[in-house]
Amino acid sequence: MWKIEPERIVGWIKSAAGISILLSVAAAVFATLDRGPHVLVNTVVMGGMLALVSMGLAMVFGVMNIPMFAHGEYFMIGTLVAYYVFTPINAYFTTHPDSLLGSLGPLITVVAAMMVGALAGVASEVLVFSQLRKRSRENWVMNSFLLTVGLSVVLINGHQLFFGADFKGIVRFWSGAPYSILEVFIARDRAMAFFLAVVVVLAFWLFISYTRTGRAIRAVSQDETGALIVGIGLNGILVLTMALSCALAAMAGASLLFMYPSYPSVGLEPLYMAWFVVIIAGLGNVLGAVVGAFIVSLLKVLTVEYIGSGWDFVVPSALIIVILVFKPSGLFGSEVRGVLDK
Amino acid sequence: MDNRTPSTHPVDKLLDLLCLTPLGASALILLALLPLIPPFNQEYLIRWLISAAFIAALSIAFDFTAGYISIVNFGFCAIMGLGGYTSAILADRIGLTPWIGMLIGALVAALLGLVIGIVTLRLRGIFAACLAWFFGLALMGLATKLVWLTRGPLGLRVDRLFASSSSNLSFYYLVLAMMVVIYVITRRVTRTRMGLAFKAIGQNMDAARTSGINPVFYRIVNFTISCTLAGWLGGFYAHFYGILTPDVMHTSKTVEVLAVAYIGGRGSLWGGAAIAFPFICGMELVRSSLTNLPGLNLVIYGLLLMAVMIYYPGGFAQFFDTYFRRTRSRLLGYLVNGGRNRSDAISN
Repeated sequence: MWKIEPERIVGWIKSAAGISILLSVAAAVFATLDRGPHVLVNTVVMGGMLALVSMGLAMVFGVMNIPMFAHGEYFMIGTLVAYYVFTPINAYFTTHPDSLLGSLGPLITVVAAMMVGALAGVASEVLVFSQLRKRSRENWVMNSFLLTVGLSVVLINGHQLFFGADFKGIVRFWSGAPYSILEVFIARDRAMAFFLAVVVVLAFWLFISYTRTGRAIRAVSQDETGALIVGIGLNGILVLTMALSCALAAMAGASLLFMYPSYPSVGLEPLYMAWFVVIIAGLGNVLGAVVGAFIVSLLKVLTVEYIGSGWDFVVPSALIIVILVFKPSGLFGSEVRGVLDK
Repeated sequence: MDNRTPSTHPVDKLLDLLCLTPLGASALILLALLPLIPPFNQEYLIRWLISAAFIAALSIAFDFTAGYISIVNFGFCAIMGLGGYTSAILADRIGLTPWIGMLIGALVAALLGLVIGIVTLRLRGIFAACLAWFFGLALMGLATKLVWLTRGPLGLRVDRLFASSSSNLSFYYLVLAMMVVIYVITRRVTRTRMGLAFKAIGQNMDAARTSGINPVFYRIVNFTISCTLAGWLGGFYAHFYGILTPDVMHTSKTVEVLAVAYIGGRGSLWGGAAIAFPFICGMELVRSSLTNLPGLNLVIYGLLLMAVMIYYPGGFAQFFDTYFRRTRSRLLGYLVNGGRNRSDAISN
């Protein structure tokens, strides 16, 4: 059982992680009291989704050492799939109001987006990254980064080429009155998005911590050669990692379709945010990314609330620059720092 | 390899001073004559050539950082935009002539480059790239939100540089001259001991530090020079297009320059410039002839970047060095290597 040790708690509070988490909680509480509970609701909903995107980003970096610049494009793929799956389901639902398919529609949409996202991840690993890996491992971090830049350009403009540049959005996933908790109204879509994010983050955490495959993924992220020596199939793990992280991003995109209609460069904003998260959490730190996601989303919500919309890149990025200056390896540290220096 | 002493012929000396090979010089002369030759003397083709020369000049300045100290300055076009905005606002508010405004823009960009250089000192590789990127995002956000200064997304109207003449020809020669000046500056800097130090830092920082190179100084100098040149080019951008929107600072613009620089060949400086002309003109051709397929040119762009990264990471410069520079023919050897010591030219 866990024992409460005062010294350790004090030590944690004095660490960068403790200070930043406590400060953010305090800021969140203050803003909620000051401006009303929608601050908290927005932070939590966006933070949940951001956690999904940035967890995948952190994992791809930790396991495969790829600084993924194309991660937002899997978010975009998620929104696109969700749009094309949900629109016919919704049309069917309006003609057959009490069919089972209709009421399960949003779930089917999200699952479909996850599957397509995973397939896209597998495809990009097999067609792109493994090709580079076969040829050269020298200067890997930079080369793979440029590769993801190219991938991002191709995917964004591929979307424009095949699906057009117009906004493809829906009004809502779940009809019905908003939930009311303590006199705060939360739209069903937001509540469900947050609920889904929590379920998936938990499931993912359990998978990483307690299953054999999850342990293998962590082993590869710690030491690739060591993992090979103890008989872990490296290629399988790499493909799986990519598929998982892309599925997470696509899922985030699908369940946020009501906020972000699908268009070619929809993935850029989540990408920026996710990079903010992984940089302050420490690249490759998956659990830190979950906490960091909520901090960044709080920063963004507070900026919009107190300074105005449109400033939400200026203030967070300025703050993150300051954080980076003082803590170059991120708030929560990271064990994979040796790789980053290349 | 023969160990010839550098040729004393005056033409060779001049070329050596400009760091050009005879082939490079003739290519430049061809570029200068190009807008006078029939298919290229149409107004829209001159515009293509201008944007190609502009991207070429940017890619030289970009490669000066990316190819030498191995830090991808992901906020490069934001710094370019900063120079452009500075010059445009000065011309707009106090009526300063663009010629001086461009230099002040370069100075402001240099200051920011200095700041970024100092701030990224503790960071390496991808962290430094991200920090420069965040600087770029913040700058773009500022340009969007400081509406009283920049008119935000509405766009800032700027007087064009050669407003009196209807042709763009003078713009073309100006940007071509700027490209050559930038090339000569960066080339001359990298030919000295400093260039060696840059390369050493880029390849292995710890080893460089062990051999007595102070990375602090060299990294800051490199960043400042590269940003200065970008700011100067930004001034040209502002006074050529006549309108500035925050979009010039967008990451996708940096990606465009980055793609050209890397397809051209990292660490070569001239590779990006050489590849920019056929590349940009080809892209414009695809875009203007296939208007019913929007985005196709950029798909090709991305695929090309990926293909080069996977199959030929050295880019065009490496290809050229392997197949043309090591020639046995004396004439061709002179053309591609110049009058300088041959082995030296290859390693350069």
